[in-house]
This record gives sequence, C-alpha cells and structure tokens, in this order.
Amino acid sequence: MDALALEATGNKRVANGAVVPAPLPVQAQSKRKPAKKTKKAVVFFEVEILDAKTKDKLCFLDKVEPNATIGEIKSMFHKSHPQWYPARQSIRLDPKGKSLKDEDVLQHLPVGTTATFYFRDLGAQISWVTVFLTEYTGPLVIYLLFYFRVPFIYPPKYDFTTSKHWVVHLACMCHSFHYVKRLLETLFVHRFSHGTMPLRNIFKNCTYYWGFAAWMAYYINHPLYTPPIYGEQQIRIALIIFLFCQIGNFSIHIALRNLRPPGSKTRKIPYPTKNPFTWIFLLVSCPNYTYELGSWLGFTLMTQCLPVAFFTLVGFIQMTVWAKGKHRSYLKEFRDYPPLRSPILPFIL
Amino acid sequence: MSAAASGTSKAAHGDVAAKRKKGPGALATAYLVIYNVVMTAGWLVIAVGLVRAYLARGSYHGLYYSIEKPLKFFQTGAVLEILHCAVGIVPSSVVLTGFQVMSRVFLTWAVTHSVREVQSEDSVLLFVTAWTVTEIIRYSFYTFSLLNHLPYLIKWARYTFFIVLYPMGVTGELLTIYAALPYVQKTGLYSVTLPNKYNFSFDYYTFLILIMISYIPLFPQLYFHMIRQRKKVLGHIEDYGKVE
Repeated sequence: MDALALEATGNKRVANGAVVPAPLPVQAQSKRKPAKKTKKAVVFFEVEILDAKTKDKLCFLDKVEPNATIGEIKSMFHKSHPQWYPARQSIRLDPKGKSLKDEDVLQHLPVGTTATFYFRDLGAQISWVTVFLTEYTGPLVIYLLFYFRVPFIYPPKYDFTTSKHWVVHLACMCHSFHYVKRLLETLFVHRFSHGTMPLRNIFKNCTYYWGFAAWMAYYINHPLYTPPIYGEQQIRIALIIFLFCQIGNFSIHIALRNLRPPGSKTRKIPYPTKNPFTWIFLLVSCPNYTYELGSWLGFTLMTQCLPVAFFTLVGFIQMTVWAKGKHRSYLKEFRDYPPLRSPILPFIL
Repeated sequence: MSAAASGTSKAAHGDVAAKRKKGPGALATAYLVIYNVVMTAGWLVIAVGLVRAYLARGSYHGLYYSIEKPLKFFQTGAVLEILHCAVGIVPSSVVLTGFQVMSRVFLTWAVTHSVREVQSEDSVLLFVTAWTVTEIIRYSFYTFSLLNHLPYLIKWARYTFFIVLYPMGVTGELLTIYAALPYVQKTGLYSVTLPNKYNFSFDYYTFLILIMISYIPLFPQLYFHMIRQRKKVLGHIEDYGKVE
C-alpha cells in the first residue's frame, strides 16, 4: 500500500539505506585555510558506540568531524562491523530512545565532544522496492493462473477452459490493471523515505496479498461462479466506480510525488491541484487510501463475491490505521493544518 | 499460607506489570473483584456438579449433561475479559485474551454443543475437568491479587497445575474435535457450497482439520511461555540455588 508515498522524501536513492555520504568536499571547504590552522582549531569529536542492551563498547571513532552526519557515522561503524550494514543500524542517544535520523548532524546533537551512542540491530533488512515488487507481482500472476484455469485447481474437465460470463473477463482485466499500475508506480512514481524494512515483513506481506488474491481468484474464476444479481447495470456502475478511483488514486500519487522536488527534504501539506481528482484533499488527509477503498468497493460490486468484500474490509481497516497515524503527524507538525480534513473518509473517519 | 510476595502479586499476572500502565481505579477494581469471585463460584458449581453426577451415576460417562448449562454460561461469560482488556482495566493483550477466550467458546458451542453425538464422549470430560480446575485456580488468583492478599499456595497452584492440566485439556479438545469430524462431514454442518449468489464456500470439516493442525505450532509456544513465566514468578522464591 502507499504509506510511504506520503513520505515522498527520496532525495537520494536510498534503496538499500546506504546513504550516499558527501563528507569530503564539505570537509575541504569548511576547514579554515591551512595557514590559519593554529588560530581557529577544529574541535574533533570522539564517538563511542555501545550496545543498547549489553552496554558493551562496540566501536570507538576518534577524529570525527563535528558536521558529520549519523549516516556517515553508520558507514564508519559498518567498516568495523561489516555484518551490520547501515540500513540495519539503529543509533540512539538513549538505549531506549528513538532512533536518530541519518541526516542528523553530530554537533547539533545534545552530546559533548565525546559522544556516546547506543546501537540496536534492526535485523536483516530488505528494500521497500523489492518488497513492493514481490508482493504485487504475486497477485498479478496468481489471479491469472486461476483465470486460465490451470490444472489442479478446478475439476479436470474445466482445465484451460474460459468462463462463459463476460464479467469474469472484465474482472480479470481490472484486477490485472490494478496490480500493473501498482508495479509501475513502485518503479517510477513513489519516492520512499525509508530505504528498507525488516526482512520478515516480506513474508507477512506476501502471505497477505498472495493469499487473498488466490482466495478471491478461486471464486471469481470458478466454473460455478454466479454473476451479479442486477446484471449489466450493476457491472457498469461498478466499473465506473473502479476506474474513477483508479484514476483518483494515481492522481494522488502523482500529487504527492510532486510535493517534494528531488533533492529537498521539506515536508509540506498536500493541497488540491488543477487536477479535479485531487480536490478531495480539501476533505481528506490521505485520499490515496480513500480512492483505494473505492476501487475495491467497485470490484466487490462488480464481482459480487464475498471474499472480495472481506479483502476490502481488511484493507480498509489497515488503511484507516495508517491514515489516522498520518493525519496525527500532519496535525503535530503543522500549526495551520486545514481543520476540515478527516484522515480517510470525509467527515466520518 | 502467608501472603508472601504481595508486592509482586500484580506482576505475577503473567503479563505486563500493572504498575507500568495506570492501574484500574477503585470502581474498576471493585467490579473486577466481583467478576472474578462470580467466575470462581461458577466454576466451583461446575466442579461440584461433576462430582455429584459421578457419585450419583457411579461412572465417568455422560457427565457433560449434568453441567452443560453452567459450563456454557460461565465459559461464554469469559468473553467479558476481552472487553476488560480493550477498556484497559486489565493489563493484558486484547488479541491474546481474545484468542484464548474464543478458542474455548469455539469448543463449547461450535463443537460440543453443535455436534450432539460427541457429547457423550469421554474426551469431553477430559477437557471440561482440565478447564474447571484451571479456571477455579485462575479466577481465585485474580481475586486475591486484586485484593493484594495473594496466598502463595494459589500462586504456586496457578503456575504449577498447568503443567498437567494444559496437555490434558488439549488432548481432550483434540479428541473431541476428531470425534466430531465424521458427523460434520456427513451432515455438512455449517458448510456452504457453490453455486450461490455470494460466490463463497466454506467447508466446516476441512476447517476443523485445520484447527487441529494449528494446535501443533500453537500449543508448544503457549506451554513453554507458561513454563518461562513459572521460572520467573516462582523461581526466585522456591529455589535460591537455581540459576537460569
């Protein structure tokens, strides 16, 4: 889903969490001219890194530039402990405190010239992009396996047959379109603020997406599938809703991407643009989720399939949790955040 | 029977110490005491009912019928405990409590009540007995903890009896579900087949088999969690020489 699209940082390509450090040129510039070295001495920092749990001294770095970033310190730490690449390092001021950001600068932190940091291993990490591509390719392929009725799913006499209901073909197109759109957005639209996530997430996420895709696809493409009660009328309305929300969702993703031009780190409130599909920003903080819900409601109506309704419901619950969190952080960060907005459903939720 | 370790009685809840979150207020405490006393009494009624029925009949068989109603009532009543966690007056995880309570309710209603033929099985007595003894100890444990006068015996019992009762209960449960399988398959109980306008199907028989399989990963985890809790709660008092 699109929690990260809202973060829309992505200044550097942090696909593996390895921040591209730029210390050397800065070093050369910020230091005084060599001739005046003795007059304006640079105070180097010393950095010691302790294990947050055992308090063992893991690493000692001397002669660290005061304007070094946490990201650079992580790279240095990685050199002495090659198994802990920067993406899996959590560096904090307090063993139980929050992680420091890669962009934080050493001298701006509340530390003395000998800084003590605590390290926690975040575990094996995997990049967001990898997770997204994997979790979205699954449903695309799996649904098609059911659509083409490959053997061992349905009774053998139905192998490689096609459904006689045209809504089943339409549903396949919509479902496939949806996941192709997601894959393309992952590759070309989204800007991820965090490079990585814990490795175990890929198993959890894939189980969710792939499992539900198989469950839905089984019934929609079943030889005994029953088309919607209200026939063509119902399917037409459903398709309109689905397409409208797909365009809407895409518009929001583009709007969020454009919020932050590449390279900058400013966080801005998203506002409606010339695109009418973004006018929903007037009422909602996370309209990408609103549109996503709408798409799946459309798909549920189109297929009249209870498992699809379940999938929509579970997705809605998860997106509401994310939307509320995002809404809360917007409110915390911006004094002038528009009061009319709700997290995900206008005026309701 | 000294009220030793009264200070740790809250921590011995087995979960997050009540001290870390705001504990229940006076009203909530009073309510919880009443709740736990009522539940203790209820399960005692079931225990007594079992003993009396056994003495009257002279055999272990078919005792379920004599305690069917109080069992359903008090086991279903435990659903309130999920609410207690959700509202925050009990410092346990809603998900964990929900899972535990719903699995009991499932066995009571969706298996034993629904499949009449298994009600005369001995496996039912096995898990009902395990549940009864466990719950009497558990609810009195909570009652005394809330009143800050926890007798060591109750604490010891809570963290020791499970060693036998838990496997006993699980065995009874699994055997009962297994006994229900043929009847469920034959009658298609709670099952939905295609075609239908919701394009949905559900096979209760397969579902029960999956439930049985789920015991394999779940039971050891819960069992060893209790064993670890036991070491933590009883270890420092019982055996000073014991080193982790």
